Amino acid sequence: MSDVLTARGLRKFYRSGDRTIEVLRGVDLALAPGESVSIRGESGSGKSTLLHLLAALDRPDAGEVRWEGTADLGARRRGRFVGMVFQAFYLVPELSARENILLAARIGGGIGAESRQRTEELLQAVGLRERGHHYPGQLSGGERQRVAVARALMNRPRLILADEPTGNLDERTGDEVIELLMGLCATTSTALALVTHNAAHAAKAARSLLLHEGVLRPL
Amino acid sequence: MPWYVYLALKQLYSTWQRFFFTGISVLSVALGVWLLLVVLSVMGGFSEKIGEMTQDTAGDIQITAEATIPDPASLQRVVDAVPGVVASAPFAQGFVVILYGDKPVLPVLEGIDPAAVEKVTPLHKFIRLGSLDDLDDDSIILSSILAEQIGAGLGSKVDVYSPAQLTHWGRADEAILPRELTVVGIFEIGHQQLDKSTAIVTLRTMQDLYDLGSGVHGLEVKIAPGRDVQAVTNAINRTLARAQGRTLRPVPGLWAQSWKTSNADFLWAVRMEKAIMTFILLAVVVVAAFLTMSLLIVLVLKKTREIGLFAALGATRAQVAACFCLQGVFIGIVGTALGLVFGFVSLHYRNEIISFVLRFTGGEEAFANVYQFTQLPAHTSGSDLTTIVVSALVLSTLAGAIPALLAARLNPVEALRNE
Repeated sequence: MSDVLTARGLRKFYRSGDRTIEVLRGVDLALAPGESVSIRGESGSGKSTLLHLLAALDRPDAGEVRWEGTADLGARRRGRFVGMVFQAFYLVPELSARENILLAARIGGGIGAESRQRTEELLQAVGLRERGHHYPGQLSGGERQRVAVARALMNRPRLILADEPTGNLDERTGDEVIELLMGLCATTSTALALVTHNAAHAAKAARSLLLHEGVLRPL
Repeated sequence: MPWYVYLALKQLYSTWQRFFFTGISVLSVALGVWLLLVVLSVMGGFSEKIGEMTQDTAGDIQITAEATIPDPASLQRVVDAVPGVVASAPFAQGFVVILYGDKPVLPVLEGIDPAAVEKVTPLHKFIRLGSLDDLDDDSIILSSILAEQIGAGLGSKVDVYSPAQLTHWGRADEAILPRELTVVGIFEIGHQQLDKSTAIVTLRTMQDLYDLGSGVHGLEVKIAPGRDVQAVTNAINRTLARAQGRTLRPVPGLWAQSWKTSNADFLWAVRMEKAIMTFILLAVVVVAAFLTMSLLIVLVLKKTREIGLFAALGATRAQVAACFCLQGVFIGIVGTALGLVFGFVSLHYRNEIISFVLRFTGGEEAFANVYQFTQLPAHTSGSDLTTIVVSALVLSTLAGAIPALLAARLNPVEALRNE
């Protein structure tokens, strides 16, 4: 089976005043369907930059990313191919938990009975079936991140990119969220790239990688 | 519903705070539309009322000359044959002195042919007391304020002196005697100047008073509904030019003039005032648009990370722009609709509102004297309505477009990293 994602020789530069900082110095990565990989690294090592390149939110200065063999992931396809989970949840405060999950389907191409049914299933899966009508302000941090995980999975993506999803959560809640995220990815054969500082969470992935001095190495 | 429409609507009234700010924007647009609608409609009303009044009292077209028209019957035959002309009626008019008791007034006396005038001007609808049918060669109909000024009513006998009688002044064998006429009607047009200084007699009485013989001062002409008054006027003038010297005795300065031409200065002034008022009051809508724009710019700055999220979820830049631009459009639509409702309700109750205000401030009489009308006229033309609605919607859309462009230009990665 072909890889969900392949990245070859990714390089990325940032300009800071007169200096040019090379954040990524030739990153290679391949992810098979259903495979999970954790990426650790120091703050500022370029983990988020790498995820943005893998999500086609940014372009590399050199190298290329292919998604199931295709080099072009337009905005619309990105919404269906990639699900993203962020440290700060990024829920839309004007929408209830249910509407936040459904938003992924709305942006991904529209909603119908099937997407409404899937929202209910995801609410059930993340343990928030009774709280679907609650707004983000009425949910705890852990509950918000569960909603964000459900939203990421809404369009049945081939790949989940999670950028320090437990960074704003306490340890126990963080553990629960990681268990949930990995469990759901495994049952749906969704590839997962998890950026984390937490060694225990990183160890739960099938592969653990370290991003150091712009290069990705096995841990 | 596309997600950007759904979210735009949600963001407008999601919280009380947002609802409050949206409400202020909507009300500011509504205020501008309201003012524009009321002011332009009232100005349009003045213009229309003057036109209506002129047509009701002097016909659509007046034919006059520099001298007395000696043979009105021939002129009528020529004019009535012009396509578009429905009817014509001769008239004669001039200043007279009316004396009732010891109270003199100096009105314009209008001599009409009671049999023909109704085909041209609906005088009967202005009669408040008495009847136009009672008008004969020994009677007179007075305008309402004039009658009140001299204290005359139905059945009162008034003395009428005409300037023509002055030609008999000093002849030893002739005494200047006034013409005694009985008041058989009181009319009220609703125009202060006309209601203060006009009286109506039969054409024969007027011809006697002014020594006109069988001559008249002109013809009032009624044209068929829907006909272009200026086109018919031009046709009459061409016909008169051809007929003079052939079927018509030449009369110096014989000329037809439409009601629009005879009120051209007034109509031009109203048009200019309307244009200036539109320009000034549009400033209110512009301010409302700036208010909406600043509100939406703050929203874009506040929602920067969400804009990054939308990109991550697969939104295009155009969709992100639409999400914010539509908020300006919705504010414009609701504000305009609300402004139109306020405006039409205000216009419906305009006279009650004016009376209420004047009751406290006084000056009801001054109002009538200055504006000539006892009731505030209003007419909303399709073009005025289109100008108001299109201006409000375009300005509101522009107010949404600028924040929308800011949102669309945001780099998703920088937006997601925004603290």
